[in-house]
Amino acid sequence: MRSFKRNGKQQKHNDEDIPVQLEKNIDKNLDNLKKLLDEPNDLVIREFVVRGTEHKCAIAYIEGLADSTYVRNHIMENVQLVTEREHLPKDTMNLFMELKQEIISVTSMKTGQTLDDVSNGILSGSTVFYLDGINEVFLMETQGWDKRSIQEPVTESLIRGPREGFVENLRTNMVLVRRYIQDPNLRFKTHQVGKRSKKSLVITYIDGIIHPDILKEINRRLKTIDMDDAPESGFIEQWIEDSFLSPFPQLMNTERPDKVAAALLQGKAAIILDGTPFVLIAPTTLGNALQSPEDYYERWTVGTLLRMLRYIAAFMAIFLPSLYIALVSYHPGMIPSDLAFSIAASREGVPFPPFVEAFLMAGTMELLREAGARLPKIIGQTIGIVGGLVIGEAAVQAGIVSPIMVIVVALNAIASFALPAYSIAIAFRIFLFGMMILSGFLGLYGIILGYIMINIHIVNLKSIGVPFSVPFAPTFYRDWNDLVLRTPIPLLTNRPKYMQTGDIQSADKGDQKNE
Amino acid sequence: MNRFEYADNKFSEIEMMIAIPSFIIGVGILSLPQALASATTAMDGVFSILIAGGIVTFITWAIAKFAASFPDTTFISYASLIVSKPVAILLTFLFAIVFFSITAYQVRKIADISKQYLFDQTPVEVISLTFFLVIIYAVSGSRVGIIRLNMMFFPFILFIAIIVVIFNLNWFKFSNFLPVFQSNINDYLTGVNKSLFSFGGFGILWFYMAYVNKPNKAPKMAALGTGFPIALYALIFLACIGVYGESVTASMLYPTVELAKMVEIPGGILERFESIFFVIWIMAIFNTTAMAFDITVLAINLVFHHIPKIKIIFLLSPLIYAIAMYPQNLIEVSAFETFLNYAVFYYSIFVLVLLFVVAKIRGVKPSE
Repeated sequence: MRSFKRNGKQQKHNDEDIPVQLEKNIDKNLDNLKKLLDEPNDLVIREFVVRGTEHKCAIAYIEGLADSTYVRNHIMENVQLVTEREHLPKDTMNLFMELKQEIISVTSMKTGQTLDDVSNGILSGSTVFYLDGINEVFLMETQGWDKRSIQEPVTESLIRGPREGFVENLRTNMVLVRRYIQDPNLRFKTHQVGKRSKKSLVITYIDGIIHPDILKEINRRLKTIDMDDAPESGFIEQWIEDSFLSPFPQLMNTERPDKVAAALLQGKAAIILDGTPFVLIAPTTLGNALQSPEDYYERWTVGTLLRMLRYIAAFMAIFLPSLYIALVSYHPGMIPSDLAFSIAASREGVPFPPFVEAFLMAGTMELLREAGARLPKIIGQTIGIVGGLVIGEAAVQAGIVSPIMVIVVALNAIASFALPAYSIAIAFRIFLFGMMILSGFLGLYGIILGYIMINIHIVNLKSIGVPFSVPFAPTFYRDWNDLVLRTPIPLLTNRPKYMQTGDIQSADKGDQKNE
Repeated sequence: MNRFEYADNKFSEIEMMIAIPSFIIGVGILSLPQALASATTAMDGVFSILIAGGIVTFITWAIAKFAASFPDTTFISYASLIVSKPVAILLTFLFAIVFFSITAYQVRKIADISKQYLFDQTPVEVISLTFFLVIIYAVSGSRVGIIRLNMMFFPFILFIAIIVVIFNLNWFKFSNFLPVFQSNINDYLTGVNKSLFSFGGFGILWFYMAYVNKPNKAPKMAALGTGFPIALYALIFLACIGVYGESVTASMLYPTVELAKMVEIPGGILERFESIFFVIWIMAIFNTTAMAFDITVLAINLVFHHIPKIKIIFLLSPLIYAIAMYPQNLIEVSAFETFLNYAVFYYSIFVLVLLFVVAKIRGVKPSE
């Protein structure tokens, strides 16, 4: 309830019994704290006296959130065993200052004046130090809960590249980014999201590279966030994205610090939310969604070819089954006659029109994918076998679908797995079904209309004010050296022009400096 | 540090350059070789194309130049300045009608051609309606979005057209090109006349010039833009004559699509290339139609600026569809086409001459 204090007046009278400001009396303060939190059994309150004086003091923290060894070594021991010191000031205020300045050896601490400060601090893992007779407290950062260690990112594994991935801890994630970019202009700005959860959200960017308008817009949108809790960065993404009607993800999420570092250097911003390893990159364009960090780590020929392959895969992921439907049911004349015969032969005895056939198979494919994703790894493989072999084989043998249909759907699924970003791959699946319906009604004509419609949508879509279709259209030919092509590293000397970065050059051509 | 200029609602001059050929290239070229071949002998039609191209390039440049002298000003504002408000409203309104008719014509034409090359059973009404719905979707979006679509589709269109010409090189009979210069002046003029109509894309400049980022660069770019269709039309016409000869070309309804029929993809992955060609060409027709509808809406919006764009779209759409479906057969459609061609071409020129002359007489100084 306390946290609502500043939001509405009607809540105020509900907890009038608990004062907002801290009292001078230590017992009253401790009572208020207990009352506020309703005396949970993990709340540790330890009362003692400062050694050699009559001053009562107390510390409070939540067990598990704060590191109790650290609390003992740096707070309790120092206050209780200040043996070298002959005498401490008798005056309470002086003692308080001396404790802060000379005795307590905690690296990060601040003072708090209100019960709100105290409860926020305690609940985020700080330790509170009370001194009798003072209406202020120390809030010492003693966070020390168990956290996952840095592991290889599961969703974005690479053959070559750093093996570090983000974890759930905000500090660790910030450190990971800092270790990639040791630039004094690297900025971390903190917002707080969640009325109740009070999560920290950090937006990071490089001052001097990022366009100030982008930053202003992201900050403006982040400030509008008003919800109880943001358990995952997906909440943030969906709150600040430009169009919630679009199937496309308008912000990219990643678990890889190297990807974030690269994006920051391109003039983008990253949003790190406490409690999730998925960091958002804003703004994002269609081209970004089909790039992988590995394109840069491998040699440029490989990188370029892989990118081309990915663009083809993107087209296959959307259009393949619908092309099959269109060709088989509307334009059989377009298939070379030998192939047409073998398709006709394989479709012999299949009771459904190609549209129904394709829809059945693609639907099954989605089912398999979803089932496989939720199951533990060991059973997940079983699903693969059951799905691939049993359903595929058996369905063909039973004459429900034709073998060619199975090939088409399998190719389509593989193509969609080849896309580097899961969120874009899943968006393409939506288009896939749309295209199948269109081509079921209108054949090739429907496919091209669908393609035009997707393009209309893309050119009207923006990500934090940056057109999603950039640099295709609006066209920036200079940025095409890192779009479908990935030119050799020495030629990638400029940051993307479409980001309108402050500092344009990212590399020099070495000896050609004197131009 | 410059502002995010490209993200707002202005076009760059390159986008203007592509918008011109995107508007010109549409259904016109599909039947142009037929009209030319029936008017001129052998390859003489190509000279008609080039002459017409020269004229059109000049007009395009002139309109762009004139409009560019009133930077960031809409057609109706500078027209009011020159020929008084009521006349300006009338001119704008007539433009709206012209582009309205172009939209309707394209919506109808695409269905007629699709019926011939893609499906024979689906009714014209359905084909037109689905196409028109996509157009409505595009126009409901941003104006700059339509211009960007041009940029996305134009490479495909150019690519497929060049493929058609290149893969037909095998079938060229050079005897078909000869004899040269056998047509008389009248034949050339008929040819020029027919080609002129298929190049009538400059009308969009009256309205889109107000949105160009750097208007002083636009006239040159717009004139350059007309170069694409001139070269493309000349190539396609030559290919038609080279492959089919004059008399066969003259007897075909859509010689350009028939040309695609001759293409054989190496490896034999797909047959019936004309279907693929036409499917890609739908993008070109889409660009033309979307821009035509957009300008209709824009022109009406200039007159009644308090009506929201979306309302205009939904009011006009049923009308356009009704008019598109009105002609009962190909002959009526082609009569519509002829009328339209005259209207589009001469109206734009009429407006140019009118505004230019009156501006000179009254001494209206552009851009103080």
